Amino acid sequence: MKRGDTSKYTKGGYRMAMWRRWKARDGAVLAICVMLGALVAGGPVGAQQTAQSRGQSLVIVQGQDPQNWDPIATFLLSWGMVGCNVFDGLVDRGPDLVLRPGLATSWKWISKDVLQFKLRRGVTFHDGEPFNADAVKFTFDRLLGPEGAKGPQQGNYTSIDHAQIVDPYTVNLVMKTEDPVIITKLAGYGAMIVPPKYIQQHDSAYFGSHPVGTGPFKFVEYNKDDHLTLAANQNYWNGAPRLAAVTYRFVPEVSTRVAELQAGRADIAQGVPVSQATVVKNDPNLVLLPVGSPTVIEVRFDPSKPPADDIRFRKAVIAAIDVQTIIQTILQGYGHRVSTFQSPLSFGNDPALKPYPYDPQQAKQLLAEAGTKAGTEVILSFPSNNADFREAAQAMASYLQAVGLKLTLQPIEQVTYFSDTLPHAKTGPIYEFGWGGWTLDFDNTAYLLYHKGEYWNPVFSDAQVEQYLTAERTTNDQKARLKAFSALDRRLYDLAIDFPLW
Amino acid sequence: MLRYVAARTGGAAAVLAAITLFVAFAIRLTGDPAAALFEGAGAPSTEDIRRIQHAFGTDRPFLAQYAAFVGHALRGNLGTSFRSGQPVVALIGERAQATLLLALGGMVVALVVAFPLGIYAATHRNALSDFLIRVGSLLGLSFPNFWLGIMLILILAVRVRWFPPSGYSGPASLVLPCGTLGIILASTLVRLVRASLVDTLGQQYIRTARAKGLRERTVVVRHGLRNALLPVVTFVGLQFGALLGGVIVLENVFAWPGIGQLALEAVSYRDYPVVQGVVVFALGVIIVNLLVDLSYGLLNPRVRVGS
Repeated sequence: MKRGDTSKYTKGGYRMAMWRRWKARDGAVLAICVMLGALVAGGPVGAQQTAQSRGQSLVIVQGQDPQNWDPIATFLLSWGMVGCNVFDGLVDRGPDLVLRPGLATSWKWISKDVLQFKLRRGVTFHDGEPFNADAVKFTFDRLLGPEGAKGPQQGNYTSIDHAQIVDPYTVNLVMKTEDPVIITKLAGYGAMIVPPKYIQQHDSAYFGSHPVGTGPFKFVEYNKDDHLTLAANQNYWNGAPRLAAVTYRFVPEVSTRVAELQAGRADIAQGVPVSQATVVKNDPNLVLLPVGSPTVIEVRFDPSKPPADDIRFRKAVIAAIDVQTIIQTILQGYGHRVSTFQSPLSFGNDPALKPYPYDPQQAKQLLAEAGTKAGTEVILSFPSNNADFREAAQAMASYLQAVGLKLTLQPIEQVTYFSDTLPHAKTGPIYEFGWGGWTLDFDNTAYLLYHKGEYWNPVFSDAQVEQYLTAERTTNDQKARLKAFSALDRRLYDLAIDFPLW
Repeated sequence: MLRYVAARTGGAAAVLAAITLFVAFAIRLTGDPAAALFEGAGAPSTEDIRRIQHAFGTDRPFLAQYAAFVGHALRGNLGTSFRSGQPVVALIGERAQATLLLALGGMVVALVVAFPLGIYAATHRNALSDFLIRVGSLLGLSFPNFWLGIMLILILAVRVRWFPPSGYSGPASLVLPCGTLGIILASTLVRLVRASLVDTLGQQYIRTARAKGLRERTVVVRHGLRNALLPVVTFVGLQFGALLGGVIVLENVFAWPGIGQLALEAVSYRDYPVVQGVVVFALGVIIVNLLVDLSYGLLNPRVRVGS
């Protein structure tokens, strides 16, 4: 595969390209390396199989095996990257990130509470089972029932009361509450349509390791923690893929992932960190594709803890740190500054808001006004597995020292951080947070992080913020929502409750 | 005899109970599996967390959870993985073969490397070759195993492309992980073989053997090595248990689908049933020891009397 040769992607391959483009719009820290298979020299030795001998088969190495391919059982990006090739939703997100028909050819609100879908005819699951309204009803019954209750996806779809069959190719989703993001949610994760008979004949555990969908590639083989092999679905409703097969290999250690590329045993390695970017870039057989991500990294303030309870202190910290220099040096330029806690891809992002400028003099002045004494110690908590942020945090400590603050770094094990430290407000006055917003709609981020009492927002609360959140959530009028988001962005920006970085 | 069996079995059961209780308790102090499920693109609401805790049964009191685990374990059911939805017994079964293969392969490499070098060093004491072997073993001891693994990958897989860098795909894929493990183990073993053989070769009976006019090879191998083996065999036996722990890091480096990776992921995601299941599997060592103890009692009545 050649760099940028997306025209060679098939319908199925298109999805992989879509993923790349999605990431590419934002230009943050994730990267994909594509190996120029034709340039790999040397014959196979031992168990090796070089790119030349793989023909139309693609080998992708990724860091994580999701362990469960059932769409309702996971939220892992490593599932998303594979799952979109096996499953389809009623709605699909194209490579231009615009929503388009998937297994539904059209949809419309037939009343305030009922969303009606016309289904695509002639589609079959990989095992030959026909796709129809029964499959859609089964999918949503399962997602919203006891089976879905065991997984992380059910909460995304609780606005749906139930699915109702109108005829074999027409389905209504009857809503319980307003959900302006529901169409977007139907294009990803838990709303992927699954085969009723196959799951009933086997069980969910079997389905989780032998997935069957309607997507462009069908399941062939899965060895846990080793590899998953998919073959082209020649009957794919949107045209058969040109690739014959795709094998995903799971290699947790990043140096080994890069070695697999260098040894000619893989075509694409996902998730190459900044620290390995130069290794890839300097290899004449490899191509480094810096790609973007909707993920945004920021520093949040805990307003219940002094000195972060004082807005002047918060603004002083923001003014004291030169984020652009950190991006250029520590992140080697693989990142873009953001002004709010969302990427430019997000519906609700206000491009008119610009990041606060780097101004150490103003920072000193604000600290003096806030009465913060020179040498005041401030703790910055962050998940210990984030190596890039750790380096950036060390740079932040130097910047803050220059304005008279002593920043103490507090790395915390990742799961402890997200399931104990954050929910119980045990962080320091400053802490790191990263967030992607898979719906590309600010609602997903904003509600769960700024609405009072949410799992990851045990402290912050503001009446105006609540008002804007309610406004954007209770209407399907996207213009009204955009207006509410614009006001929300401005309010959060003014409060300086967080410090969006890149 | 019955008292002996009861005492040994009771002791082993107490150790099993204490360790599983401690692990089950400790893992619950460090994070919530319900929240860990949202890693990736998810953000849980408080309702999500409560719902999943209820589905997993982690909202029940700790002792109730532990009692259920023990009750099921006694019937051969170690529960179902929170993350994969698969039975824990099946997950362990799938991976045990890969880990045992890696451990055995590493041990074979260690023995093949350590014995010739140890014997050579012992029979050429204070020669340059002895010095080089000892320095080499010291270097081997100093390498962190993950670093050595990555170095071998870069040289033997990337540079000369003799072996695959990672994966579990045939005999060639065994070479680098087993080689790394073997080199680390051999570094200790070679010193032990040398020291033990040097000690043995200084004994009176070796002098007698030489005085009888036996060939040096016969003296060293038949009379010296055989007696020097006792501490070495003890060490190898003890190392085998430690080896299973040591493969965790190497399984990660070499993407080896074994128990080590399973345990690491289970701890990372607070997959309690899998963590507890792996501990029970590892504690199989206790059951083996118990059987050995009981066989002592059968074979040697003095052991029963002693007990």
